[in-house]
Amino acid sequence: MEVAFDVANVSGPEMGGIAPPEVIGSYISSARKPLLVVGSEMLRDDFFVEIAIEIGKKGIPIAATGHSIRGFVEKEYTENVHYYNLHELTNYLRDPNWKGLDGEGNYDFVIFYGIIYYYASQMLSCLKNFATEPLVRTVSIDRYYHPNARMSFTNIMPRMEEEYKDMLDKLVESIKR
Amino acid sequence: MEEIKKGGLVDVFDLKNVDVHIGEIVDEGEGEEEWEPMGPHPMPRIATLRDWDFKLLNRYKPFYAPICDMCCLCTYGKCDLTGNKKGACGIRMDAQQGRIVLLACLVGCSAHCGHGRHLLHDMIKKFGPDVPIDFGPEVDIEAPLTRLVCGIKPKTIGDYDEVFSYVEEQIVQLADALHTGQEGSYMDFESKALHMGMLDSLNKEAADIIQIACYGMPTSLPGGGPDVPLVDVGIGTIDTNKPVIIVIGHNVPPAADIGVYLTENDLEDKVELGGICCTSIDTTRVYTKAKIVSALGRQLRVLRAGIADVVVTDEQCIRADVLELCQRVQSPMIATNDKAMHGLVDRTDDDPNKIVEDLVSGRVPGVIILEPDQVGEVAVRTALQMDKKRRSLNFILSDDEFKYYVNDCILCGGCTLACPNGLHIGEANKSAATGNIKPLADLFDLCVGCGRCEQVCKKHIPIVDVMTKAAYPQLKAEKGRMRIGRGPIWDSEIREVGAPLVLGTIPGIIAPIGCGNYPNGTKDAWLIVKEFAERNYIVTLTGCMAIDCALWKDEEGKTIYEAHHGRFDAGGVLNIGSCVSNAHIHGAAIKVASIFAGRPLRGNYEEIADYILSRVGACGVAWGAMSQKAASIATGFNRLGVPAVVGPHGAKYRRAFMSRPDIKEDWKLIDATDGSEVYVEPGPQDLLVACETVEEALPMMAKLCFRPSDTDRGRSIKLTHYIDLNQKYLSTYPPDWHLFVRAASDLPIATRNELLKKLEDEQEWKIDWKKKKIVEGPIRGYNPSFNPTNLERLIRGKK
Repeated sequence: MEVAFDVANVSGPEMGGIAPPEVIGSYISSARKPLLVVGSEMLRDDFFVEIAIEIGKKGIPIAATGHSIRGFVEKEYTENVHYYNLHELTNYLRDPNWKGLDGEGNYDFVIFYGIIYYYASQMLSCLKNFATEPLVRTVSIDRYYHPNARMSFTNIMPRMEEEYKDMLDKLVESIKR
Repeated sequence: MEEIKKGGLVDVFDLKNVDVHIGEIVDEGEGEEEWEPMGPHPMPRIATLRDWDFKLLNRYKPFYAPICDMCCLCTYGKCDLTGNKKGACGIRMDAQQGRIVLLACLVGCSAHCGHGRHLLHDMIKKFGPDVPIDFGPEVDIEAPLTRLVCGIKPKTIGDYDEVFSYVEEQIVQLADALHTGQEGSYMDFESKALHMGMLDSLNKEAADIIQIACYGMPTSLPGGGPDVPLVDVGIGTIDTNKPVIIVIGHNVPPAADIGVYLTENDLEDKVELGGICCTSIDTTRVYTKAKIVSALGRQLRVLRAGIADVVVTDEQCIRADVLELCQRVQSPMIATNDKAMHGLVDRTDDDPNKIVEDLVSGRVPGVIILEPDQVGEVAVRTALQMDKKRRSLNFILSDDEFKYYVNDCILCGGCTLACPNGLHIGEANKSAATGNIKPLADLFDLCVGCGRCEQVCKKHIPIVDVMTKAAYPQLKAEKGRMRIGRGPIWDSEIREVGAPLVLGTIPGIIAPIGCGNYPNGTKDAWLIVKEFAERNYIVTLTGCMAIDCALWKDEEGKTIYEAHHGRFDAGGVLNIGSCVSNAHIHGAAIKVASIFAGRPLRGNYEEIADYILSRVGACGVAWGAMSQKAASIATGFNRLGVPAVVGPHGAKYRRAFMSRPDIKEDWKLIDATDGSEVYVEPGPQDLLVACETVEEALPMMAKLCFRPSDTDRGRSIKLTHYIDLNQKYLSTYPPDWHLFVRAASDLPIATRNELLKKLEDEQEWKIDWKKKKIVEGPIRGYNPSFNPTNLERLIRGKK
């Protein structure tokens, strides 16, 4: 059994599963109204910013948290990218009456990407426990196993960085919108 | 003996088998001085300020992020509460989170209360109860929180007995609410947590006032205030050629006694007295030759480096394995507090010669001495002898040992999974094995110093020692300077800055406080202080952040304390003192309401908190918040109307207080002048929120300094910093800056046209370009006579 990236982060009876990129991509494709939530770890390599932009170009709006917005500004991709503080954003996401980034309603599916592990884990925990009616489904496409997400990758150590990049490429490819 | 009848008189001389105890004797005519009429809420009980709490909680609704989905507190359990399910006792997940938050605040508040009570006992024993509370000519309001919460104006330290009795009773009542089958509402749990936070702030003020009064710590008497001396900070400042005593904790009397012994025996220049955490800060307030070795985050590494010839612990923030760590490097340990005795034998009142002999010979690894005045002699004499014994010992790894260990690493990744910050230690080891130790040395400051990595290492590599070896040259060079804790803000300073603070022309008070669980090292602490001090905010520090920011220097080689003045004024960088001293930051905000605005203090918490929430642009930041004390400290700030930002680890506190700017009804205030209702901009938007990175936290703190009462000039200054910090650190305009614009005069003059154009283009506001005025768009117009309040009872006249 895979252990959480922060090994003692065992939340309870409902722990999310580990899935390959194609499965997570297909799961994202099933979303009615998905949102990509991006954090500052994305900035460690241009490749990861490009991945976010590619997902954004598939029509999935981006909430840029932390200081990740810098990556999009530098790449001059700001359409459909909105700065939010992750805590505040999660506070919105747990409310079914929130109007969303487009003013047309909340999201049914949230993709976490490039966010410091333990902060992301807590926000995923909030959504797991309190964004249930209607359900907001969550996945993480970070290099960590996230028990509080419904689905995530396995833990990927730095020496496996190229494999991780391949996984992200496959994931983007498998998102059908 | 006659039968005693209800309402009847009894002759005491006729009583038999009765003990008569006489408590406090109050002389006729020496009762409570009528210094101010009593307000509505002296010594509030659990429900007294509940209405105020609910006003806060309805705007800043509790947000929960459980760290555990179960409740394990009774034998019905474990209960699975996932998805806000109910447990066997009927409690839902949200209420259970509120309960855990209350428990954390209980622990934090109890630590400060226990500390304060302990201090009071020791000081009354040493000096008697009549030590006057006199902080000099510049401090008339000596105890703002005590006056505010208790309605008491303390004259002597003995007056704090009543204060602690009040707090202790409230703590017990609040702890009672935690029991299974008691409270069931998350809102009421949070109201109780806010009550606990307020009590915690009172404890801190009491503890600091007692130690200031008894030890003559800096106040407005000569030598105090903005011009307090600087002291050395950093591992590199300790001269290991001398005997070294390291004190750890928060309760200063034992360390103070060491200082007295060194002074009386002319050993000040022959023995190094250094400290870790708040005891070190407070030691420098009584003995300026003491040095601050490090904040909490480096405790493990300082102890493992073996520089201490004797370690003296008191209470709080001491590693649970401190004795084991001391034994590893042959440092005898002296525990001085009954709350942290570590299994040692109590040797209080034993012959000092025998204790020293036992410690030096190694017959015992440590001792307990519970009388502070017995600690100095034993600690110093032990250090003098141990220095000779330990001089040949070296606990820094040799080059060969270092090479062996970094080569032994198998890159399994176990340390990374165990590390709170997920540091990639294996990769740094690998790099070191090939001759490049920089990645490993760089990890030293990013490491929070917990040691969990070593617990899981399959190869039993002493990772902490390996990292210390790699960083050793920079550690030896780590030599900072910081002002000693100056204690209370002077009333005269408040008179100078009260107006600019409330009007907004000093853009805010930034209060970095708390522990060292930073997401990205100590340099963030320095950056936060530097950024706001250079922008003319007032920066008031306490505790570990006060220490950590002093480790870094600017291009001119100056620490932040050397580069900025220490006045409570624009651009000031003030070390207020230890954790308990941060009550003086509450005190400064309270004094603004009292001295500048003339609001009555006595027993008047709700009105003062309402004033601070609407008018005093202050924001706490606990970038490395870790402990339960930090939880109760932040909650105490929140009840008083002061928001706080925490680092990403702070999300593990499970609860935040965030508003919804998109829900208009949440932002309805009352104009106390005529009772009219006014919809206002979201200032402050949150009471407790985590940021992912320091780049995000800096603009967030600026945002949380907006207040509805800002004048247009003040608002334009705050907007300037908010927009500029966003552009500097997030490369963009803040998406919500327009919410804080009420009129064109709120906009900075230099960029007014550009911003008006943005408002017209992006927000579709109507602009009269001839008059350079906003015609339509803002939430409200600017009204310089707006008198904001959340309390109907403060309305002066009905419209």
